[in-house]
Amino acid sequence: MSSLILRTAVALIMPLALLFSLFMAIKGHNEPGGGFIGGLIAAVSLAIYRMSNGPDTFRQLIPLHPRIIVFTGMAIALLTALAPLALGLPLLHTWHGYVGLPGGGTAHASSALIFDAGVFLVVVGASIGMIIRLSEELEA
Amino acid sequence: MDAVWLLTLAVLAPLIAGVVTLFLPRSLIMPRVVIATAGPAIAFLLVAAHAASHGITSEPTDSIPWIPSLHLNLGFLGDGIGTFFALLVAGVGVLIMLYARAYFGPEKDDLYRFYPTLGLFTTAMLGIVVADYLMLTLLFWEMTSISSFLLIGWDRFDKKAVKLAMQAFFTTGLGGLVMFGGLLLFSLHTDLWRWSDIYADGLAGFDMTLSWTNPMLWAFVLIFFGAATKSAQFPFHYWLPGAMAAPTPVSAFLHSATMVKAGVFLTGRLFPVFAALELWPWLIIPLGAVTMLLGAVIALNQHDLKRIFAYTTVSQLGLLMCMYGLGALTMTYHDQTFHLIDWDITQIANHAFYKAPLFIVAGALGHVASRQLPELFGAWHHHKGMVLTILLAGWGLAALPGAISFQAKELFLYAIYHATSVHPIFWILMLMAILTAVCNVAIFVRLTTTLLGLEGGLRTEKAPPPPWPVKETAPDYYAPDHPEDEETDAHGSGVHDDHGHAPHAPGTHHEHHHETGFWGAMLWVPALIIVSLQFLGGLITPLWNAVFRPLETNLNYFGGEGASYTGVPALWQLGIGVPLGMSLLAILGGVALGYSKVMRGAIVDVHDKIYPAIYDLCVNGGGKAFRVVQTGNLRDYTIFILLAFLIAFGGAVYFDGGMFEPVLAQMALTFEFWPGVALAVITCATAVAIPLVQARVVRVLLLGACGFSVVGLYLVYEAPDLALTQLMFEIISVILFLLVLRLLPDPESKGAWVGRIGRISIAAAVGLAFGWLTLVAASGAPFDSGHPILGDFFLRHAYDGTQATGGRGAGGGNVVNVILVDFRGFDTLGELVVLALAAVGVWSLIPPRRRYQR
Repeated sequence: MSSLILRTAVALIMPLALLFSLFMAIKGHNEPGGGFIGGLIAAVSLAIYRMSNGPDTFRQLIPLHPRIIVFTGMAIALLTALAPLALGLPLLHTWHGYVGLPGGGTAHASSALIFDAGVFLVVVGASIGMIIRLSEELEA
Repeated sequence: MDAVWLLTLAVLAPLIAGVVTLFLPRSLIMPRVVIATAGPAIAFLLVAAHAASHGITSEPTDSIPWIPSLHLNLGFLGDGIGTFFALLVAGVGVLIMLYARAYFGPEKDDLYRFYPTLGLFTTAMLGIVVADYLMLTLLFWEMTSISSFLLIGWDRFDKKAVKLAMQAFFTTGLGGLVMFGGLLLFSLHTDLWRWSDIYADGLAGFDMTLSWTNPMLWAFVLIFFGAATKSAQFPFHYWLPGAMAAPTPVSAFLHSATMVKAGVFLTGRLFPVFAALELWPWLIIPLGAVTMLLGAVIALNQHDLKRIFAYTTVSQLGLLMCMYGLGALTMTYHDQTFHLIDWDITQIANHAFYKAPLFIVAGALGHVASRQLPELFGAWHHHKGMVLTILLAGWGLAALPGAISFQAKELFLYAIYHATSVHPIFWILMLMAILTAVCNVAIFVRLTTTLLGLEGGLRTEKAPPPPWPVKETAPDYYAPDHPEDEETDAHGSGVHDDHGHAPHAPGTHHEHHHETGFWGAMLWVPALIIVSLQFLGGLITPLWNAVFRPLETNLNYFGGEGASYTGVPALWQLGIGVPLGMSLLAILGGVALGYSKVMRGAIVDVHDKIYPAIYDLCVNGGGKAFRVVQTGNLRDYTIFILLAFLIAFGGAVYFDGGMFEPVLAQMALTFEFWPGVALAVITCATAVAIPLVQARVVRVLLLGACGFSVVGLYLVYEAPDLALTQLMFEIISVILFLLVLRLLPDPESKGAWVGRIGRISIAAAVGLAFGWLTLVAASGAPFDSGHPILGDFFLRHAYDGTQATGGRGAGGGNVVNVILVDFRGFDTLGELVVLALAAVGVWSLIPPRRRYQR
C-alpha cells in the first residue's frame, strides 16, 4: 500500500487530523465531541499513516508499544473515577468550575475532562494496537 | 472462667495440641504423644469443669462476636446431649491418641502427620456438639468432612484408599451442602439462628403440617438428609465400610464414637424442634429400620473384622435413628402422656463403649496376626488379652445380660412394644429389631467360636492350621520370644480393607514388628478400659445412672407393666413382659444362627456399586455434555449467547406488560418524518443484503454501507455526536475487517448447529429485540424523577441538577458527553476495560511477527 500520493497527502493531513482529534476531545463537554470521538479520529489518522508509510516509520513516530498507551489511559480513567471516593463523594463524581487562564481569560473546566483523556488514550491505543498487529500479520 | 471461654478453649484444645506437635523435632516421640494426648484430655476437663460450674443447662453461654452479620459467632450450649457428646469425644480421644502411638509404632513420619490431623478432627467434632449457633454447627460439620477425608485417605500412595476417602467426602459433603440449604431455609423462615433460642422460644407458632408448601417440612427434610448421609443411613451407608481404609485408630474413633454419630447427634438436636412435624416418625423410622436390619445381615456375611464391625455400626446407627423416630410418637398410660423415647444418651453411650473396643482390638489383632476372621481361628492361645477384650466387647455387641447394652436394647424394645399400641404396623419394626438382634448374637457366637478355636468357628479352607506355629504353651503375644515372621497387617494399609477378601501373602508388604512392654499393651488396654464401662454400667446400674442420668434430656420413666425405676433399669428391675421375651428369643435364635452353616461366605455389598456408578455417570455424562456443547465453532457459541438473550428478552416482555404498550406509541412517532423513514429503509436493505451475498469483501462493504446510512439517520435526527462517532467507528471497523478477512478460515465450516436459514432468522430476531429494547429505554420513565421520558431527564439535568439527581450531572453543554462521563460514567469505565481487554486479547492471540508457513 505504499503510494507516493497517499504518503504525501498523509504527511500533510495527519498533523491536522491529530490536532482536530485533540480539539474534538477537549471541546466535548459543551459541544459535539468527546474523548471517544477524538480517540477514534486520532486512531484513524494514525492507522492511515501506518498503512502508507510502513511499520518502521510508524515506530519512529510512536516508539511506544500501544499497550503502554492503553494502560496509561486505563490508569487515568480509573484514578479519576476513584478519586471522589477519597473525598467521601460517590464514584465518578464530577467537579466543574471556571479556571483562570495565563492570558487573563477564564475557561470552563471539569474533572470529566481528565476522565475523557483516559478514554481518548484507551481508544487510540486499543485501535492502533489491533490495526498494527493485524497488519503485521498480513505483511509477514 | 467464663463459660464461653471454657468451651471455646475446650473445642480448640485438641487442634492447638496437634499443631504444637508439628513444631517438635520428628525424632521426639514421647513428648509428641504426651502433648497430643493432652489436647483431648484438657478438652475433657474443661467440658467437665463447665458442667460442674455452670450446670448442665439449656442456657447458652455468652457469645464472642465473629461474623455477626452471618449469625456466626462463638457461642456454645452445654446442655445434656452436647455435654455428653463432648465428654464422649474427648474421653475416647485421649485413649485413641495413646492407641495411635502403639498402633503406628515408633514411626516418626506417621505420628508426625497423624496427631495434627486427628486434633483437627477432634476439634471439629467437639465444635459440632457444643456449638449454639446453627451456622457454627455447620462450619464444624464441614470440618469433620474435610478432616475425615484426610484421615480415611491416610495412605496417600494407595489409590484405593484415596478413592474411598473421596467417596466418603463426596457423600458426606453432599449431605453437608443439602443440610446447609435446610438450615438456611429454617432460619430464614423462623428467624431463629441459635439452638438455645429455638429451644427457648419453641416453634409453637409455626405450621407443622404435612404440606408440600410448608417450608418447615422442607427444612427438616433437607437437614435430615445431611444427618442421614453423615450417619450412613441406607442407601448412603456405603461410605462407612469403605472408610475402613483408614488406619484403625481412625476407624475406632470416627466410625464408632464420633463422626458417624454426628448425624445421630443432629437428629437428637433436632428432636425437640421437629418432633412435632407429622413427617418425623414416618420418615425416620422406616429409614432407620431398613438400615438397621441391612447392616446386621451384611455384617454377618463378612470375614474382615473391621468390615464386620463397620456394618454392625451401620446397623446400630439405624437403630439410633429409629429410636429418635419413635420418640415423636406418644402413648397415654394412667392419664400420663409419654414420648416413646427411652434414654437416648444411654443408647448412644453403650454403642460407643463396645464399638470402639471392637475396632481397637480388630486393629491390634491385624497388627499381630490377621484381620481375617477365618485366619484367626484359635487366636486365643496366643493373644489372650486381645481376645478377651474383643469377646467382652462382643458380649456388648450381642447385647447379652451383664452389659449395659442389654438394658439399652430392652429399652429400645420397650419403645417398639409401646409403639405397637399406637399402630399395629410397628410389629414389623419389632420383627426387624429381633432379626437384627439375632444377627448380632450370631456374630458374637462366630467371633467366640472362631477366636477360641471351638467347633463351629470359621476356618480358612486353604490353611486349616493357624498361620503361626502352634505351641503347647503359647506365650502371650508381647512375650519376647514371639515369632516375628508371621503375617502382620501393615498398620491398616487399607489395601484389602475395602473388600476384605484379598489377604496379603506374607512379607509382601511393609511390616514393622510390634513392640513389647507399655506400648505393646497399649494396643489393647484402651479397649479394655472402655469396655469395662459396659460391664460397670450393666452390673452396677445405679453407678451408670449417677453419671448419665443428669445428661439425659429425653427421660422416660415408663418402663413397662409393673416395673418401677427412675433411671436406666438394673437387671433385676426389668419387668417380665413381651420385650424381655423378645430378647430371649433373639438370643436363642442368634446362637442357633451362629452355629448354623448358613450365611458364612464373605459377600460383597451391592451398595458399594452406588458411588462408583454415580461417579462414572457424572464423569462420562460430563464428558458427553462437554463434547456436545463445546463444538469449538464460533458460530455455535454466538448462537448460544444470542438464544439465551432472546429467551431472557421474551421472558421479560411476557412478564412485564410495560415493555409493550409504550414501545408501540414510540414506534408510531418514527413514521412522521420521511427522511428518517427513507434512511431506515436503506439501512434495512443493506443489512438484509449482507447474508445474501457470498463474497466476504462485498459483505464488509455492505456492512459499511449499513453503518453509513445509520450515520445519515443520526444526522437527520440532529445527533452530530453520534454521527461523528459512528462515522469514525465505521472507518475503523472496515479497516479492521479488511485486515482480518484474509486470516479467516474457509467460509462454510461444517458441523454448525444451526443452518443458514436458522442463523438468519436468529440474527433478525436479535436485531428486532435490540431495537425494541432501545425503544423501551427511550420511552421508559427514569427512576422516580417525575420526567415522563428518559431523554427529558438528561436534558434537564445535564448542566445543573446535582440535587435532583443525587450528585449526578456536571455542568456540561453536551448532553451526550455528560451522559457518557457522568450519568453513565461507570458504564463507560466498564467499556474501557472491555476495550483494553479486547486489545490484550488480540495481542496475545496473535503473537508479534509470527510468520505463516503456508
